[in-house]
Amino acid sequence: MKTQSSKKPRKPLTKGRIFSHLFVWVLILFTVFPIYIVIESSFNTTGLLSTNSFIPHGISLSNFRILFHDPAVPFSHWMLNSFILATANSIISVFVGAAAAFAFSRMKFRGRKTGLQALLLVQVFPSFLAIAAIYVMMERIYTVFPSFGLGSMGGLLLIYLGGSMGVNVWLLRGYINTIPMELDEAARIDGASTTQIYWLIFFPLAAPVLAVTALLTFIGTFNEFILASIFLTNVGQRTVAVGLESFVGAALGQNWGPFAAGSILASIPLVALFLSLQRFIIGGLTQGATKG
Amino acid sequence: MAVVDAFLIWMFLAAVSKHSGVIQLVTAIIFLIVNYVYFAKKPVPFKFLTPGLILMVLFILIPVIYTITMSAFNFQTGNEVSKDQAITALLANGLQPDANNTNYDMVLGSKGGVMTALLTDTQTKKSFIGNNSSVVALAPGSFAANANGDAVSAPGFTPYTADQAANLGDQINSLKMPLPGGVGLIEPQTETSASLFTEEYTYNSKADTLTNTSTGLVYKDNGDGNFELSSSPHTKLYPGWKAFNGFSNYLHLLDNPEVRGPFIGVFIWTFCFSIITVLMMFAVGLLLAIILDQKIALKRFYRSILILPYAIPSLMSILIWRGMFQTQYGAVNTLFHTHIDFMDSPWFAKGIVLIVNLWLGFPYFYLISSGALQAVPAELSEAASIDGANPAQILRRIKLPLVLQILSPLLIASFAFNFNNFNLIYLLTGGGPTDVLHGKFAGGTDILITYTYKTAFNGNHQDFGMASAISMVIFVIIGLISLWSIRRANVLDNNS
Repeated sequence: MKTQSSKKPRKPLTKGRIFSHLFVWVLILFTVFPIYIVIESSFNTTGLLSTNSFIPHGISLSNFRILFHDPAVPFSHWMLNSFILATANSIISVFVGAAAAFAFSRMKFRGRKTGLQALLLVQVFPSFLAIAAIYVMMERIYTVFPSFGLGSMGGLLLIYLGGSMGVNVWLLRGYINTIPMELDEAARIDGASTTQIYWLIFFPLAAPVLAVTALLTFIGTFNEFILASIFLTNVGQRTVAVGLESFVGAALGQNWGPFAAGSILASIPLVALFLSLQRFIIGGLTQGATKG
Repeated sequence: MAVVDAFLIWMFLAAVSKHSGVIQLVTAIIFLIVNYVYFAKKPVPFKFLTPGLILMVLFILIPVIYTITMSAFNFQTGNEVSKDQAITALLANGLQPDANNTNYDMVLGSKGGVMTALLTDTQTKKSFIGNNSSVVALAPGSFAANANGDAVSAPGFTPYTADQAANLGDQINSLKMPLPGGVGLIEPQTETSASLFTEEYTYNSKADTLTNTSTGLVYKDNGDGNFELSSSPHTKLYPGWKAFNGFSNYLHLLDNPEVRGPFIGVFIWTFCFSIITVLMMFAVGLLLAIILDQKIALKRFYRSILILPYAIPSLMSILIWRGMFQTQYGAVNTLFHTHIDFMDSPWFAKGIVLIVNLWLGFPYFYLISSGALQAVPAELSEAASIDGANPAQILRRIKLPLVLQILSPLLIASFAFNFNNFNLIYLLTGGGPTDVLHGKFAGGTDILITYTYKTAFNGNHQDFGMASAISMVIFVIIGLISLWSIRRANVLDNNS
């Protein structure tokens, strides 16, 4: 890389360099276009995702006001619900998943290989495909434990947990495989039990990748739409994803102004989180897949 | 542990109190497993595995098994209940006024505390006394009649007062008086009149057939969840029931033209979409990575802007794009001063799906490509340049093949992801445009998973059996692709 790039820039404005800049700028325009539009729409009052002049005429906060003062759109509840679900799902699934991944990576037991293959299949099965089955199941559970059945956040959380388990165990196992076995063995010789090895050696070492897995799970849960829209029917219970969709879905017509404002508010924490942790996330993305 | 046990026991008791056998069983099994695993000394691995296993079994494995089961049933609108329920419904729905339109004058009262009616046939002037369990003819002279010859009182029968009769409300409707021999039912029409109804069908439980009482036609159980005429097998009676039909749902995907046509179209587009979209995103991402890998002005600035689409929650970006492609006020049409109905043409809609997905996905491919480019050992390029290769040759002959090799599992994973990219299609185009006029049901951009969703949940006709069968097809395809890619990478045998 060094040799190549140190030679090229000496020849200013070759065809290749013009093409490079052009390509990057076209891509930047493509990237920024919708972002610009949505920011603009959030501050104007036409309720449309469009602009005539590309220069904002006047700034109005009315769209934001709707989100916080209109009792029919409890936006702060939606945000809270999404954050509760996403946080609970990411933390629990990482704790439970890390333990299982540890067992798959470090221990020998009967059925390990079959288990791994099953895990691989489960991992690619979107829980969404079994949605009808899950629906019937949750209906049943509802009759006995209303707080974990249909229409409850607890029930939805359980479905999310089941769904994210496969992917997370798979990703984490890939990472744990890269932690040298010698560390465990040394600790074992010093008399550590498996549980101690897990909590004192493995857990601190894997902390960064656990955090990344948790973050990816968090983002995934935040983006999840269809299960949430089917299982949480009450307006106050909605997640941000379902709530915002309801602004522009067929039922309520095309209310793009508040939608744009809400999208911006909901995106800010995620974008901030992502940009601050991007180096780890990218590492985690390639790790899980390339190292298997 | 004590807390978990207490919780499980509480759940078990709750299940017992609600008489829910399945949930009782499940909680009891979890209770036993958890206690065995954490109190017994031996199975250490399972101490780590159990919580994850329980979650996966409950919320993935059981639904998967249930889905497989459903895919082997005729389970759709019109075939949702059990066979007994279907027969009951058929018999009840089949009630019709008898051939002679027999009507009765009626006096309501009580006899022995039971609601009873004195009935007089308006034509033959024969009188009866009836309640919910039987109808008996009254012998002439055993009752008192009014000037019209209608029975008005009988021994032991107390007519309701006007107030009582007015307050009967729904009780009147619950009065159904069966004629002896199951020939028919007499049902009140008003407070003072009743009519005779006969059942359209009678059920013969030995032969498992329904017979139409007026036409005499015999309907047989067709083994697929309906009673149908043996002479013309497409005359089915509804409601039908959920019936086991083995592989019929899968076979219908291949041999029933109504099902096969849309299915094959959707199937092909799903593959085209996943392949094209991955190639597009990869091409743009890789090119960007190669460009930004050079020393270029403003590199950090470019980089931080260009990964924004990956950081913004995709659900919102998709909806934003949908708004921008609106015909009338959407930003795209306003910008170019056009008035194109993008979502109305299958080809425009397909193009939009690809463009939007490119926007969503190229930053990810840029990030992984740039990671892969940097992972190519510098010695290789140096050695090549000493041997006289120019930078373009180094890139094409050395770096790109290596990058491809590093990234191929990710490309396959991305293919699998887009194969099931429900959010994109459902939120962007809703699978449309759909040619509803021609009764078409699959839209121009529908992929298998949105088609499944439509089959199961949308419209007037919900077909859970077929939806489950398509689900299984998707599952098998994706499962095979993943297994193949993992086998290639050979990680299952890699123990450390």
